[in-house]
Amino acid sequence: MKQPVTISKKICMLGAFGVGKTSLVRRFVYQKFDEKYLSTIGVQISQKLMPPVDLTGDRLQQHNFILWDLAHIEKFTPVIKNYFRGSHGAIIVFDLTRPEGMEQYSVFLDPYLQMNPDNPLVFVANKNDLFEGDPSTIEAIETLGRRFHAPHLLTSAKSGENVEEIFQRLSRQLVERQLS
Amino acid sequence: MKILLEQQKTDYAIFNHEWILQDCSRDFKKRLSQNQQEPSDSSIWSLFPELVGSEEPLRAVQSGSLKYYLLQGLSRLSQELTQQRFYDLCVLSYSKADAELICLLYDSTELLQLQQRLQQQENEIKLLKSGLLRAGRHFAHQIIGDSPQIERIRSFIKKISNIRSTTILLTGESGTGKNLVARAIHFSSALSDKPFVEINCAALPPTLLESELFGYEKGAFTNALSNKKGLLEEADGGTLFLDEISELPLSLQAKFLTFIETKSFRRLGSTVERTVKTRIITATNRDLKQAVEKKEFRSDLLFRINVLNLNLPPLRELDNDVVTIANNFVSHYALDFGKHLVGLSDSAKEKLLHYSWPGNVRELRNVIERAAIFADGPCIDAEDILINEPEPTFSENIKLDALENGFSIYDLEKELIVRALKRAKNNQTQAAKLLGLSLDTLRYRIKKYDIVNQ
Repeated sequence: MKQPVTISKKICMLGAFGVGKTSLVRRFVYQKFDEKYLSTIGVQISQKLMPPVDLTGDRLQQHNFILWDLAHIEKFTPVIKNYFRGSHGAIIVFDLTRPEGMEQYSVFLDPYLQMNPDNPLVFVANKNDLFEGDPSTIEAIETLGRRFHAPHLLTSAKSGENVEEIFQRLSRQLVERQLS
Repeated sequence: MKILLEQQKTDYAIFNHEWILQDCSRDFKKRLSQNQQEPSDSSIWSLFPELVGSEEPLRAVQSGSLKYYLLQGLSRLSQELTQQRFYDLCVLSYSKADAELICLLYDSTELLQLQQRLQQQENEIKLLKSGLLRAGRHFAHQIIGDSPQIERIRSFIKKISNIRSTTILLTGESGTGKNLVARAIHFSSALSDKPFVEINCAALPPTLLESELFGYEKGAFTNALSNKKGLLEEADGGTLFLDEISELPLSLQAKFLTFIETKSFRRLGSTVERTVKTRIITATNRDLKQAVEKKEFRSDLLFRINVLNLNLPPLRELDNDVVTIANNFVSHYALDFGKHLVGLSDSAKEKLLHYSWPGNVRELRNVIERAAIFADGPCIDAEDILINEPEPTFSENIKLDALENGFSIYDLEKELIVRALKRAKNNQTQAAKLLGLSLDTLRYRIKKYDIVNQ
């Protein structure tokens, strides 16, 4: 079998403050979790090589995810515009314990989609370890997924639940788009 | 230009037309590689992964159609949360003829760390506020159970939550959830975003309680160095919850009554009348009518605070709800302690149902917390539940003795006094309290029944 071709992909982590974007990235990249909350300023860059994906026959492709962990966005400024430029996909993160935040997704998702209308998305409802199972919250995240034709996952950066799965789903979507 | 940049302590990297590193400043690689994996090659993409996706603007800079390309407020995620350095990355054309690019790195750590500290505080406040609101919403959900008594509490809360001006008196034994119900009333109402101010009247000495409640003006008393709002003012627009109202000193009861009736008061040392709109909830585990009879509580204040009364039932009267509430605590502590606990075994349920719970929900909570810590399996078992075996109560003992031996009123009264003296270790004042008698009456009866020291 041939060596996989590595392709770098810029992935934006979007969401309100305190939903756990940085925690998800730290869990994914370093397998670490910290209860302490430290707000992100600007953007934190990290990268991780995804497992190779079999395209067709003996063609292997491997994504090198360049993760842009963005601070909570309140206004769409030229600085933010450059953050979104050239992105290949986005992970939209919500906090299951603050479901009211799900109604405000358009603050960051609309400007992102204006610049990258066809990009694959994954909706993530984080902090499942603290979630008390309110069905209306689950319904809200499912509705968002259906609306944007994107998968959704309940995750916990603390326990690691579904964290790898987020990035694998995105990687799969990128491959599917490439093949279609 | 390079000398100038070195003197300015600005790191730089120059890339050729194929975007491969040509030259760089001394500290450049060191700075970028901090806490980050080594670059695989010397292409611009390996050294600046943040430029992945920016091919288009980079070409525009190369061709001269874009003056510069700037990315601000960048940092690289480190393993440790606190080790963070920030930089701005600016890409310029270095040589138009050779299509070379120069990437400049400006250290913006100082500025962004300041910004970060401010943002941190702002976000923490927002998170705490949202946590409080959430907790508030959950208070109503925390009233658990299906018994008619619990349904009655829920219905009461629903009916009165949107009535702002009335006064509510919550009564019930210690640990029956008066505080929880007070919060549920406040947070399920339209006032939920307004303050909920709570004070325990038994927790403060009378003089301090007065200044806490009504506030004071600078110079009102020694150490009154500045004006201070009282809790009545703090609760303006929201709810004031006075727990253990029976312990409010008589001297303050009159002042508080005036406030309830007029909604106005004066701070200590002030002549200015202030008016606040606040819903007042009071709570007590004492019989206030008895306190009135004993002249420990003003009857006019009792009438004023007792507009709406909710008596919370003791846990022993809630039948199977004991198990429902206990199961809720099991889920709570399973989450809290990170243990896999699915519930209570049948024998554990039996044990809970056969105990009288003198400490009510508070006691049940402590028992389940202890059980959750020591439980080995996924179910809490009877042996994990450590409760003090029920000590037969006074009335039960008497009843049993009476049934077995028959009784006369004379014997019954004598027996009661003997037991009270035993329990009070011959302290007659305490024994009198236990029996609800005055000390003189007890002494008279001790003499009458010829009771010697117990």
